[in-house]
Amino acid sequence: MAGAIIENMSTKKLVIVGVTLLLFQAFAFMVGGLIAPSPTTAVHYLATKCVDTGKHQQETKWFMPWGPNQCTKLRTFDEAMAKKIEANNIVFAVHIPLPNKEMSPWFQFMLVILQFDIAFKMYNQIEEGAMATIDVGLAYRDDTVSEWTEMAHSFEQRKLNCNFTTTKTFENEGRYYECDLLPFMEVGSVAHKYYLLNIRLPVNERKKINVGIGEIKDIRFVGIHQNGGFTKVWFAMKTFLTPSILIIMIWYWRRITLMSRPPVLLEKVILALGISMTFINIPVEWFSIGFNWTWMLLFGDIRQGIFYSMLLSFWIIFCGEHLMGTTLFATLALGRGQVKMCESSVSANKNFAQPDLHPTKNLQDQTERNRFSVYWKQVGPIVFGSFCLFIFDMCERGVQLTNPFYSIWASDVGTELAMAFIIVAGICACLYFLFLCFMVFQVFRNISGKRTSLPAMSKARRLHYEGLIFRFKFLMLVTLTCAAMTVIFFIISQVNEGHWHWGEHTVQVNSAFFTGIYGMWNLYVFAIMFLYAPSHKRYGDEQTSGQCITGDAGGNSGEDIQLTTTITHVDGPSEIYKMTGKAAQE
Amino acid sequence: MPTVSTVNLTAPLLLLLLWATQPTMATNWLSLARLPRSRPVSGAAPCARLRGLTPGQVGVCRARGEVMESVRKAAEMVIEECQHQFRNRRWNCSTTPRGINVFGRVMNQGTREAAFVHALSSAAVAVAVTRACTRGELERCGCDRKVRGVSPEGFQWSGCSDNLSYGVAFSQTFVDEPERAKGLSAGRPLMNLHNNEAGRKAILHNMQVECKCHGVSGSCELRTCWKVMPPFRRVGVVLKERFDGATEVRLTRIGSRTALLPRDPQVKPPAARDLLYLAPSPDFCHLDPDNGIPGTAGRRCNGTSRLAPDGCELVCCGPGYRAGRAEVVQRCSCKFSWCCSVRCQQCKNTVTIHTCRV
Repeated sequence: MAGAIIENMSTKKLVIVGVTLLLFQAFAFMVGGLIAPSPTTAVHYLATKCVDTGKHQQETKWFMPWGPNQCTKLRTFDEAMAKKIEANNIVFAVHIPLPNKEMSPWFQFMLVILQFDIAFKMYNQIEEGAMATIDVGLAYRDDTVSEWTEMAHSFEQRKLNCNFTTTKTFENEGRYYECDLLPFMEVGSVAHKYYLLNIRLPVNERKKINVGIGEIKDIRFVGIHQNGGFTKVWFAMKTFLTPSILIIMIWYWRRITLMSRPPVLLEKVILALGISMTFINIPVEWFSIGFNWTWMLLFGDIRQGIFYSMLLSFWIIFCGEHLMGTTLFATLALGRGQVKMCESSVSANKNFAQPDLHPTKNLQDQTERNRFSVYWKQVGPIVFGSFCLFIFDMCERGVQLTNPFYSIWASDVGTELAMAFIIVAGICACLYFLFLCFMVFQVFRNISGKRTSLPAMSKARRLHYEGLIFRFKFLMLVTLTCAAMTVIFFIISQVNEGHWHWGEHTVQVNSAFFTGIYGMWNLYVFAIMFLYAPSHKRYGDEQTSGQCITGDAGGNSGEDIQLTTTITHVDGPSEIYKMTGKAAQE
Repeated sequence: MPTVSTVNLTAPLLLLLLWATQPTMATNWLSLARLPRSRPVSGAAPCARLRGLTPGQVGVCRARGEVMESVRKAAEMVIEECQHQFRNRRWNCSTTPRGINVFGRVMNQGTREAAFVHALSSAAVAVAVTRACTRGELERCGCDRKVRGVSPEGFQWSGCSDNLSYGVAFSQTFVDEPERAKGLSAGRPLMNLHNNEAGRKAILHNMQVECKCHGVSGSCELRTCWKVMPPFRRVGVVLKERFDGATEVRLTRIGSRTALLPRDPQVKPPAARDLLYLAPSPDFCHLDPDNGIPGTAGRRCNGTSRLAPDGCELVCCGPGYRAGRAEVVQRCSCKFSWCCSVRCQQCKNTVTIHTCRV
């Protein structure tokens, strides 16, 4: 592919384009930092201990911890012992928004994490490998007076990973264990206003259910959801970006179809990148406000995965297409001493193997390097790694569509399976990056090789190679900048507390990270589609552009004359050999 | 006949005198723990009848009635935790049999023990109110004043998890109120205010941060972190450490203001987290009813280990201790579940009990 817009753009125009994109980037960061609130909120809930008197056997009774119909409460478990209440009659009740608040579809998802407060008692310690069996029900309603409708019910098992930091003596009885967070529930959409969780810990000594789990004092929950304000800002951003990327994509494809030659692999990959970016940008999430589509979370993960795979494939194909050691030119005479050289990208080795090479045939052999199957070694790890992560996501979030309480990390088998998928994906990523680094190294080696012979070339060829080198270096620089910025901001957002205070203003660093990085990759794809579209500028008077460069035959070096004289003889392959020999030596 | 009338008048006059001279203790609200559970503590009429509250605290009770149940819970927590932390010391946080001054006249002087009780009580109020908010028992809980206006909109725009701030603010309003009423120029109110704040700071400085990654495929692209309040036992342990390192101060005049500065000028000024005391602790060994010291007579102690904190050499003083044998029926081979039902057998054991001599 020769003659992209970027090669033919003056420096001044390039700078203007760059500055405009930077302004949009800064705007994206500011929207996140100044307008949007923090991306997520964690709300603490402490379960209320209700007593199930067992009178309503026929229907499921839902226990409300507060409000007009609240349940009979227990203050402490000592009270339960005094009143002779059994463990199987105790229900922990949590009402998900706290009083006077409502949940909203703008929250997008609800993730609940459970933590046990278990006190150390010498004669009631947590046994090794203790599993808590939880009988949980989730109900919803949309106003404060109607009946509760059941949404999900399940018997879940969770492994208690608790340890006691001080010595286990009678002195230290009453102190709490330090227990890990347990994943409890994940709901992919928040369609109702009020939710109620009723949890039981049934005890069955014969079957060893909930035996040896220590003395539980309290159950604490943390409910995480996305902030409504952040969701609104995010939707606004997507709605703005979708037409922008669509327009540039349509413009790009029109330029490609206007050319006389068929599109090259690289151009097709750039279009695919644009399509995957559009796929992410399309704000399908607006429907989640009106409809109860719990698969939105999974769908978002899939879209992001497709984009990452496409981006990684684009990088490696771009590098591969710019391995400049083997480009070949076939020349055609145009009369009046002008020569048109068309790139044929056939590798020099292949040339030697085909003695009956004919100029016309050369152009018809669409290029060896230009095929997708050449890249199977590099794209293979990407596809396999993405597939592993897809299967992992389906196993976790896919099953949560039917049972919100499912967690692949709850069982040992599940944990090992999940770790296996993640490790395989990690290995694929490492393989890919090794290939990428190797290819980049090859390209730079070829560039330095070409650099030495550049002054000796004809003007047309030199311009061609210089264009290629500039194109490659520009993309390398921009990609490295974007990747570095992503990594730096990711690290800052992980380490930071999440918001900075500047006098009266609060800057939300985490939101700025999300909106800024999302905007950055959109601008990246925009820039690539704009700058790497085929240029309609020519070196001569020909109508078509693309791979051919028309140069003056009366030109600068003896080489041109030799080329001309070679072609005007319709002699035979021997002269072609000479030409190819010369090209190979170059 | 005149003798009868004087006798009739003397008793109420004496009572009046006693009531007037008894210093109003700021920790009298701890007497809420002694009320029967069934007695309500919220509402205009019940608030006025609560004897342990100062007038300002009665005003808070009337204005924010639903929180008072948490205050009662806090009072119970203070007594339980104090007795746990001091179980091995000569003064073991014993409570008086009745009355509104729960810990007795020991609290009259500004000793280390008084400092500890004040700090613990303000921390307990903060913890109890926060827990009540987290359970949804309180209607208004710190999400009223939000950046973008009225509470539901504020919660839906940017979330709200201010329960601890509400608890701490309520503790400042309620527990600090008697000190502020007395004015800030006397030594004891200043000491109490500082120690109250030290108690609240003990909670704030021991929060733990926990995080959960929940991005694409569970990665850490999206990570939410939150702070967890420490369990009250931990707060008690921290305050006990501060008790051991408390600074003795005295009231000094600096220009037009008064401040509490260390008595020993070589000691650096105390930080906000440290406990202060004005008077050195009395000897808790001997019975001294005027000052509310029960003495160590009759206390159980551990006769086996000499250097343990509850060893008899350290707890008992003066006359020493004696050993006795007793037959105790204890529970053994108990089968516990995670709560409530315990099935035990009864075992008879002969144990040696050491008690301090009179």
